[in-house]
Amino acid sequence: MVLLILLIVLAVTVASTPLLDRLLGRNAGWPIAAVFLGLTLLVAAQAPQVLGSGEPLEFSRPWMPQIGVELHLRMDGLGWLFTMLVTGIGALIMAYSTRYFPPRRRFGFYFLMTLFATAMSGLVLADDVVLLFVFWELTTIASFYLIGLSGPSASRPAIRTFLLTAMGGLALLAAAVLLIVRTGTSQLSVILADTSWTEDTGFVSLVAVLVAVAVFTKSAQFPFHYWLPDAMAASTPVSAYLHAAAMVKAGIYLAMRFTPAFGDLLLWNTLLIVLGLTTAVVGAVFALQQHDLKRLAAFSTVSQLGFLVAVIGVGTPEALVAAAVHTVAHALFKSALFMSVGLVDIQAGTRDLRQLGGLRRRMPVTAALAALAALSMAGIPPLLGFISKENLFEAFLHAPGPAWFGPVAGAAAVGAAAFTFAYSFRFVYGAFWGEPRGDAEERTASEARPSFWLPAMTASLGGVLLGLTVPILDTMVNEVALNATHEAADAHLLLWHGLNAALGMSAAAVGLGALLAWRSRSGDALAGRDLVPVTGVWIFEFLHEGIVRVGRRTGDLTRTDSPAFHLGVPVVLIIALASVVAVVGLDLPPVAGQTAMGLDWLLVGLMAVAVGAAVVTRSRMAGLALVGVAGFTVALWLFFLGAFDVALTQLLVEILTVVVAVLVLRRLPKKFHRVKRSRTALTAVIAIGAGLTAAVGAYALTGRREISAAGEYFLGNAPEDTGGTNVVNTILVDYRALDTFGELVVLGVAGLIIIAVLHSSGLLPVHSSRRVVVGGTNAAYPPEDNTVLMRTVGRFLMPLLVLWSVYLLFRGHNEPGGGFIAGLVGGSGFALLYLAAPSDDRARIRLAYPAIIGAGVLVAAFSGFLGYADGSFLKPLHAEIPLAWGGYFHFTTALVFDVGVYLAVVGVLLTALNELGLERGEGSVREPEGFRTDRPSAQASGDDAPALDGSTTGGNR
Amino acid sequence: MTLAITIGIMVAGGVYLMLQRGMVRIVLGLVLLGHSVNLLIMSAGGVFRRDLPLLQFGTALTAGDPLPQAFVLTAIVIAFSIAIYMLTLAASGSDDDTEDAS
Repeated sequence: MVLLILLIVLAVTVASTPLLDRLLGRNAGWPIAAVFLGLTLLVAAQAPQVLGSGEPLEFSRPWMPQIGVELHLRMDGLGWLFTMLVTGIGALIMAYSTRYFPPRRRFGFYFLMTLFATAMSGLVLADDVVLLFVFWELTTIASFYLIGLSGPSASRPAIRTFLLTAMGGLALLAAAVLLIVRTGTSQLSVILADTSWTEDTGFVSLVAVLVAVAVFTKSAQFPFHYWLPDAMAASTPVSAYLHAAAMVKAGIYLAMRFTPAFGDLLLWNTLLIVLGLTTAVVGAVFALQQHDLKRLAAFSTVSQLGFLVAVIGVGTPEALVAAAVHTVAHALFKSALFMSVGLVDIQAGTRDLRQLGGLRRRMPVTAALAALAALSMAGIPPLLGFISKENLFEAFLHAPGPAWFGPVAGAAAVGAAAFTFAYSFRFVYGAFWGEPRGDAEERTASEARPSFWLPAMTASLGGVLLGLTVPILDTMVNEVALNATHEAADAHLLLWHGLNAALGMSAAAVGLGALLAWRSRSGDALAGRDLVPVTGVWIFEFLHEGIVRVGRRTGDLTRTDSPAFHLGVPVVLIIALASVVAVVGLDLPPVAGQTAMGLDWLLVGLMAVAVGAAVVTRSRMAGLALVGVAGFTVALWLFFLGAFDVALTQLLVEILTVVVAVLVLRRLPKKFHRVKRSRTALTAVIAIGAGLTAAVGAYALTGRREISAAGEYFLGNAPEDTGGTNVVNTILVDYRALDTFGELVVLGVAGLIIIAVLHSSGLLPVHSSRRVVVGGTNAAYPPEDNTVLMRTVGRFLMPLLVLWSVYLLFRGHNEPGGGFIAGLVGGSGFALLYLAAPSDDRARIRLAYPAIIGAGVLVAAFSGFLGYADGSFLKPLHAEIPLAWGGYFHFTTALVFDVGVYLAVVGVLLTALNELGLERGEGSVREPEGFRTDRPSAQASGDDAPALDGSTTGGNR
Repeated sequence: MTLAITIGIMVAGGVYLMLQRGMVRIVLGLVLLGHSVNLLIMSAGGVFRRDLPLLQFGTALTAGDPLPQAFVLTAIVIAFSIAIYMLTLAASGSDDDTEDAS
């Protein structure tokens, strides 16, 4: 229950950020910090149960029962540790943010930070691999937006970070799918306890590599380490939280969580230890080279995460104890360091070491807290960092594999630790000691206010305090090691272990580090030099650009502006496929029942005449009319086939299509474009082939079985299930309402796109060949007089049509009618008004038709949400409403849904009439001469896309 | 058989128009093609039972298959919205030519 409360409180916090931001601006961080602190205390209060008696907290609720995925939360020692980090460090960062940012509203920041905290808590508490993956991706997304908040210069880093970590997410997804398929469950604790798959070496190796890729990308391990310094484009609180204390620890968490399965796998051990230590060394060397304090801290994070990954790779309970302690130590000292970078940056106006120096005299508190954090990082007693590093060294010496492997790993760790000491020294000495190197501003920097430095000081002192009282961590780390390895650990953390190998290694690291700091003039001798010829960012951009280029080349193969080519190729392929089938032959069952009736032939003849004429004619208007005749023939066919509702719809649609098409045709020339004779012949061949294919296919493949089982069901059960006897309508609004809802949205979107297209590219003026020129004295001239008949009829017919449409709407459930037909009838009423109007101005429909479309979709969606009262989206609810004159009216929410359909259809028709039928202002009417000139330019910009389109290819920025 | 022939005629006409030059003919071709596919769906439901699926008036034993009818009803409206959208494209920007005037 506690777990659910935790997540709900976090979710409520996320939801309340807009309000807090509006009321408090940047100070919204205070209440959020208070909430986080409260949650930290709540989690801490679970320690006696989770850590003391080793009973995890669990919570479970069905989520996607069909595929056995549950909302399963579980907090064991490991989850407890990481939840504490997320909420505890989160509280500090939120308090810090209130003073870091200038006094302005910070909605995006607080919203995303709390969202991230929620996702991260969910991630470490999830006991279901699907849930784990969802939260994992959510942290990636939050990170992307948080980096992107820093403005346009941060957009490429944000994209690079996102693509890389999302790739790791895909690896995790693949691992999750493999595990679910193999073990038949998605519950993480069950999967990890299952030994059947861990004994299959091939399978477990595959999963281990996939998980390792996820770990390496998320926790910035070599060769993916470069994203983390790149992500320093984000603001400092974001870096302190996501890229130091929390998100990058998600990889660490994942590696620890999967240790029970992979701990004994040599591939996993080797991969993690080798790449982890490589990262530790590389990150530490690069950190020493930085001028920018924040990039120094970022490379330092990379290096420290390398230590963590490597020690998890060792896989023994002792190693996991070391990992747990170092996770805590690192979260404290690294968040403190990042916050001190922010303090220096804000107070002194720069974080460049070449400008800074001697700040300790003017910012003594910041200097003290940064020094304490750096000492912890460098592994100096009595700080927590010393103890954790001792444990790391000890663990490396017992690395699995050949006998020489442990000492080599230990030596590498000592090397990385020596660099760690040197860059820690560089950080503190460069910024706070020595003489100021910059100009005026840095020389007059003053100490920050207590409310600004307090959070950083808290984190920094936490490292001191825990160092001095380290035995209180014993229970926690032993429990974590037990959870992570399924083997009991019996660690006793002490400041003084006596003279042993680890102490010697610590001393060696400090000694070498001091020597290194001295010889390199605290890193200045190395700083800024290119040690390697390429950067990770360069490689990423190179690969990214290459992939985009390959994609474009592939697209070039079929790129043409002629729609005929795109439309023709699939048709030819279908004909070819059909020919192959015709040659091979198929076993067909006999035709079921009578397929041709006498009257049908009449329709065949009608269709042949209509289509034949439509193909031959060169007049646009005639073409439209003939296709209309074909449409009416289809409507007759539908009547013949017993599809009364469908036929009605077809009939109405046909009329309205002609109305809309006429509005368009009067803006175009009378004749179609000419084409070459050879092309006419070729298209005729293709068309005849397609027609034959369709006819033979339709004859051979349909009508050879009895009515479908689904159809049988609907016919048999519709009245009982839905209370309606018009089976087609009940399918639309009851059984398959989601399909209809989707269609409704398509319809609405089409209406809105029509508006958008016409607003962006303008409507053609009425074509010169279609302007009717009559003299003022001609009887055909005055529009008022000539429309009298139409207007008089329309005035009476319009209300009747609307009434009739409403009637059709209401009876649709039982008799022919329903939302579509009713909407089309209502729309025809408006079309009549439009046609009868004597002038454009009078024809204008003054209803907010986009709003009608929107209302339709919303009403339909609303009726869908009502369905949740009885289980699921769009499930119709029924009620018998007693009528005054006796009897009952059967009310169903399906009717509300049909009202939505009605509104959307009417809205789209109004849109078409108003947008296409009326002349626009003079401004948007362009001269015909202009058309020819802007075509080549449009052409050119299409062809030149590779050169111009820098935004997708990136480029070396 | 008769329905299959109708479908064949419409597909031939639709494909022919669709492969011509000019947006309006492409739209008309697609409209014909849409009609023919709707009839094909109807045909898939079988054409030997042709009574209305209105249970107030008839019996379920001879009524046509309502499922393809529901599909087609949806399809008609979608095809309509796409047709008017494409007609809008034909009437906006420059004229409805889809190819270079070479």
